[in-house]
Amino acid sequence: MSGLQIVNGLAGLLIVTSLLVVVARKPSQSAKFYALQSLVLVAVFVALGSATNAPQLYVWAAVAFVTKVVLVPVIMARSFGRLSDERLGSGERISPAVTVLLAAVVVLLCTLIISGVTLPAAAGIKPALAISLAHFFFGLACIVTQRNILKQVFGYCLMENGSHLTLALLAGSAPELVEIGITTDAVFAVVIMVILATQINRKLATLDADQLTTLKG
Amino acid sequence: MVASDLPPLLLLSPLVFALVIFAMPTSGRSARLIELLHLVSIVGTLVLALTTVGYVLSHGTLVTFGDWLMVDPLAAIFVGLIGVVGCLTGFYSIGYIRHDVAHGELTAVKQKLYYGFFNLFLFTMLLVVTANNIVMMWVGIEATTLGSAFLVGIYGKGTSLEAAWKYLIICSVGVAFGLYGTVLTFANASASIDPHQAVLWTSILAHAQDLDPTLVKIAFVFVLIGFGTKAGIFPMHAWLPDAHSEAPSPVSGLLSGVLLKCGLFVIIRYYAVTMKAIGPEFPQSILLVLGVLTVAVSAFLVFVQHDFKRKLAYHSIEHVGLIVIGLGVGGPLGIAAALLHTINHSFTKALLFCGSGNVLQKYGTRDLRSVKGILRTAPVTGLFIMAGALALAGFPPFNVFVSEFMVFAAGLDAGYPKLMILVALLFTITVAALVDIIAHSVLGKAPENMEKSDSSWLSLAPMGVLLALIMVFGVAMPRPVGDILRQATGIVMDQGHATATATPIEHVAAKK
Repeated sequence: MSGLQIVNGLAGLLIVTSLLVVVARKPSQSAKFYALQSLVLVAVFVALGSATNAPQLYVWAAVAFVTKVVLVPVIMARSFGRLSDERLGSGERISPAVTVLLAAVVVLLCTLIISGVTLPAAAGIKPALAISLAHFFFGLACIVTQRNILKQVFGYCLMENGSHLTLALLAGSAPELVEIGITTDAVFAVVIMVILATQINRKLATLDADQLTTLKG
Repeated sequence: MVASDLPPLLLLSPLVFALVIFAMPTSGRSARLIELLHLVSIVGTLVLALTTVGYVLSHGTLVTFGDWLMVDPLAAIFVGLIGVVGCLTGFYSIGYIRHDVAHGELTAVKQKLYYGFFNLFLFTMLLVVTANNIVMMWVGIEATTLGSAFLVGIYGKGTSLEAAWKYLIICSVGVAFGLYGTVLTFANASASIDPHQAVLWTSILAHAQDLDPTLVKIAFVFVLIGFGTKAGIFPMHAWLPDAHSEAPSPVSGLLSGVLLKCGLFVIIRYYAVTMKAIGPEFPQSILLVLGVLTVAVSAFLVFVQHDFKRKLAYHSIEHVGLIVIGLGVGGPLGIAAALLHTINHSFTKALLFCGSGNVLQKYGTRDLRSVKGILRTAPVTGLFIMAGALALAGFPPFNVFVSEFMVFAAGLDAGYPKLMILVALLFTITVAALVDIIAHSVLGKAPENMEKSDSSWLSLAPMGVLLALIMVFGVAMPRPVGDILRQATGIVMDQGHATATATPIEHVAAKK
């Protein structure tokens, strides 16, 4: 199996792990699955680095490991464990089965879109590219279909992982500082979302996005 | 000092002050010291911003830090805007926040955090407009959300937390689209040029003809969705009325006056690349459609609002729509008009949001049905709001009239008479809404037993300066501003030096 095939195969695992993140019962469980998913992402970076002979991707992998496998999941698991909303229940707008079906449709559509791309950088990694795009939209779908605001934070993280993978696939040769800037932003975004969600839970005793509808018009 | 030190210094100054303010202890006595630090920071930023603009005017584009930072005439407009509006709303904040602390709305800790985040917010916006590296541009935009989300939710009430949450989620998601557009543009450019160059906007623009046309189109759409969310373009504007109305008034002024324009700035950068790569037709038709839709939707929403700040917020959406229409009309006149309107709307909206702050603190409500007779209870504030509302409605001799007129002139010139009539009709709806504010809230019968007392000079002085700027830009726009607008238009049109166009004012004058 060639290096790029490993990349494509690992990218497929990303979809599986992101499904786990979305359908997990408790947000603190989702955090663990998110760490697992980020670990897969790190593996993709390493595989891509060795397949395309791009050593800077190892730096990306290291940065992603520290921030996404360790830092962000720990922050999430710690703070989300303390937040609860009894009335919310699962907070799903659609059942897990529909979610899986939706994911399949999204992957299919993205594969169709990506098949039209003619960039030389995309040759050989089109499946991975399609999955990165699908991952992005999957995160978006998670934000829309989940009423639990903590799950929405995970939706953002999934979107972010998707664009991070696209970045690595198409722009692996970009200066390292670029990647550091993006990762720093992502970490701060999650931290601020966690702080806000905590404040909302304390002040309004809810985690339900449908309850946050005082402002209208 | 060397000129190339200016952009890094401009960036570092508010960042360092923000960090120092965060590190300050929060005892009762340190409050005054924090205010002083804040004051030094905003004045320093203003001085550095204006020095940078002056340098760009006299010596041309300033590029530094391995080409990652660049202030060209286009960026200079926005640097100047951040400097001026940032300093004035920052100054206004001092009186406003003191009042809130005195009335128990904010604690001493929150006061410190407010000033820290305010300066951090200025830094992130400056990062956006001085970036030549397109990824850093994106990082900057995302950072503006993170820097300002706390400011939006600072009161910690249910509604302010809700507004902050929506703001954070909608903008983070929107801006994620912007990242996709950025990555696509980079990947597209790095197929033909060296990756270290492909990340620079200047190089991408220089090699725009070599880009893959299909990808350029896709990237432009992604960029428009992404950064358009930040700019408040329909249908990505949902966060804007909530965030603007729940934030402290000076922050509302800064969000509306400057932050939205930072989103537009990034769109303009990509617009230039797209026009050069695939011609103006595709980007201009999208911009026109979105611009007109934005104006149409917001015009009606302005009218039905009773909340003063929500009304102003929808007004901002409408004017962003007009700026987008100016860009969509294109041509030297359309683009110059859009850029001038960016400046004019900033000053006017900052003045009105500050005015709404005075009203809120005086009447304790933002509901215009309960706010009557401002001119009697707080005469100076009333006068300022009246002038601001007339200016925003587009009456001469105020500044908004000039740039609105230019947008319409550009539209007629480019052969869109029906569209321009439609937009003009839509604008009459908001004129009615603004006249309504003047007739009922500024004039009207003051509540009995409300004593006559205006806000302190700390709040009124920056508003006076804003009104002066509005008048100056309406009656006799300073020559350097005309020069810089002309040069910036040339950059967007990619003519290098725009010798072909007259100053906007001359152009309009010639048309009359």
